[in-house]
Amino acid sequence: MLKNILRKELLENIHSYRFPLFALICVVLIPLGMSVNNAQYAKRLKDYNEQVRLADEAQTGLKIQDLMAGRVTIKGFRPPSQLSIFSQGLENALPRYYQFGQDGYSQGESSSGDETLASTQGKFDFVFLIQMVISLVGLLFASDMISGEKESGTLRAMLSNSLPRDAILLGKIAGGYLALLAPFLVALVMGVLLLLPGGFPVFADGTPARILVMAAAAALFILIYYVIGTMVSATSAKARTSLVAILLIWCGFQLVIPKLSDIAAALIYPVRTDTQVSLEKSLLINTLETESAKELGRQFDLIFAGAKPDASNDPNSPESKKWAPIRDDMQLKTREQKAAQLAAIDETFLQQQRRQRSLAAALSLISPSSAFGRLAADICGTGDLARTKYIEAVRSHQKALDNELFSKVKRTLMMHDNGRTTMMFSAEPVDPKKLPKFAIADASLGEALKANAASIAALLFWLIAPFAFAYVRFLKYDVR
Amino acid sequence: MSNPNPILKADDLSKRYEDGVLALDHLNLEVRGGEVYCLLGANGAGKTTTINLFLNFIPPTTGTCFIQGIDVNKDPLEAKKHVAFVSENVMLYGNFTARQNLDFFAKLGGKPNLTKEQYYQVMRRVSLQEKAFEQRVKTYSKGMRQKLGISIAIIKDASGILLDEPTSGLDPKAAEEFQEILAELKGEGKAILMSTHDIFRAKEIGDRVGIMKEGRLVMERTREELQYEDLVKIYIDYMKSEPLTA
Repeated sequence: MLKNILRKELLENIHSYRFPLFALICVVLIPLGMSVNNAQYAKRLKDYNEQVRLADEAQTGLKIQDLMAGRVTIKGFRPPSQLSIFSQGLENALPRYYQFGQDGYSQGESSSGDETLASTQGKFDFVFLIQMVISLVGLLFASDMISGEKESGTLRAMLSNSLPRDAILLGKIAGGYLALLAPFLVALVMGVLLLLPGGFPVFADGTPARILVMAAAAALFILIYYVIGTMVSATSAKARTSLVAILLIWCGFQLVIPKLSDIAAALIYPVRTDTQVSLEKSLLINTLETESAKELGRQFDLIFAGAKPDASNDPNSPESKKWAPIRDDMQLKTREQKAAQLAAIDETFLQQQRRQRSLAAALSLISPSSAFGRLAADICGTGDLARTKYIEAVRSHQKALDNELFSKVKRTLMMHDNGRTTMMFSAEPVDPKKLPKFAIADASLGEALKANAASIAALLFWLIAPFAFAYVRFLKYDVR
Repeated sequence: MSNPNPILKADDLSKRYEDGVLALDHLNLEVRGGEVYCLLGANGAGKTTTINLFLNFIPPTTGTCFIQGIDVNKDPLEAKKHVAFVSENVMLYGNFTARQNLDFFAKLGGKPNLTKEQYYQVMRRVSLQEKAFEQRVKTYSKGMRQKLGISIAIIKDASGILLDEPTSGLDPKAAEEFQEILAELKGEGKAILMSTHDIFRAKEIGDRVGIMKEGRLVMERTREELQYEDLVKIYIDYMKSEPLTA
């Protein structure tokens, strides 16, 4: 019985004018989107390789005097994500690189400067197509599933037979869903096959698993929208009413909730801007260095008062021997104090950002589209998890450079009571070839799924709740 | 010849809708095998409500429907195995051919293994044109759809047939053909309950005719009784009479 209804529903959808239209949209847009994004990925990868090469050359040729003069900045670049061809996510919003210096790190520009106004409304990628196009088609396919059959009278004809209503509902959902899923899967396979001649490593380590998991998530997402459409159809007596309700739901899920959740989170947990934080850090550095310079100047003047004129240039003079440990101790303290306070500012800022983002993420889960978008982006290495890994790598690299490079250079700025300012330099030898390389640890698929437990739970909720509601409504649906 | 045991039976059947309207008021009727029962009445008299109750589309307020002795409310799925239904506007799947529609509904009706030729035979029996067998139903006229609808009822081979104004909107030739098919089904021993506005057709084919008004069965005549009475006059008199009190 179920098979018969499933078959009927599948055939009815295939025979309808909607099916070839939808199939055409899938087989054109999905492979096209993937090919275009693959070309963009290749371009970004080329840029990245070139930039890393130049940065490595600059690092290898690093001169200690440039470092002392503050002319050197070490850059750490983020490699583009291979799977960004499926979900661009934060790919263009994340900084292309971070700069590391004695006073900490700062972010470089992002790729979003190259974007057009149209692209700010959503990137034309696989996930965007599913979120914006296929979700709507799924809802529309389901919109007249029950109410349309009631209006045409075929539901009465069906129910005049010895046929349980749950079998009708399940058969109709399964058949309609298959009609929706088939062109989508064909288009996805076509898209992946089209990537092969371009050298995309489809079968590289971990990639097939990620593509499969993402395809499964996409299939679940499409099913969710189909079931939501069914629920609406089983709630309304007329197909036209279903259509209006469905469009409102779609707008809410796709356009309103994701944006409102960001706004609400920003209102509840406001976070300072990068510029404000940067200014605060500059002010702190300036204050600490000025205080240190004044204290060093005072100590220097005390120790070298009455000494021979060149005593300060002679490391073996008694004054210099007394001065050196005091200077080193004060500089160490200042450096430690500066590092601790800068780290505290960064940590507070990151915590505030994390809290705001967590709230926005939690609120956005009201929309299955947001839940799917977050999951897909993390599977593709372009989501929040990639940002977290990037920042972790940056902080770790800064520490490594502090130990291996920046601590080797000592600048001694002194401000004397008479208003005179002096600067003294000293440096330990550094082998630039042995400096650590910037690297970001990729999040594994398991990590991505674990980080998205809430998104997966939200998706399952949006599958089960509308189905349960549709089931209950359809059991009592007035077929007259 | 009709059988003594009723295949379709309404026992003290009433239906009051949520808005308070009493659509059916203590209806009692029986239709035996080989018998055609025609329900006449104005719009809103309760004819379609009766059929909806037999099909378990709505629950009764009081009373019971029986199909082949099975309580429709208690075991609707079992009861509906023994009844076929043809509505006023037979609505089928327009993008399917006649055969595909027949195949789908035959399987729902518990006939999963019929051959293409068996479908064709049934469609020939209702005088559907051969060239229309593999045509999409959306190109069909109302008369053709009615024929296909009755094909579905025939192929189910149920002992009871419920017809909700099946000849409404049909041209005289199509209505005549439809009547002939009903006569054949009656001859096969089917119990047929038909709601209709068509007094002439009711008198022609009905073994018994009931007139409904405001949910009540106000008159019932057998074919024999109607030989000596003018059904049109009886019907109009009832329609013109004072409203019934609750």
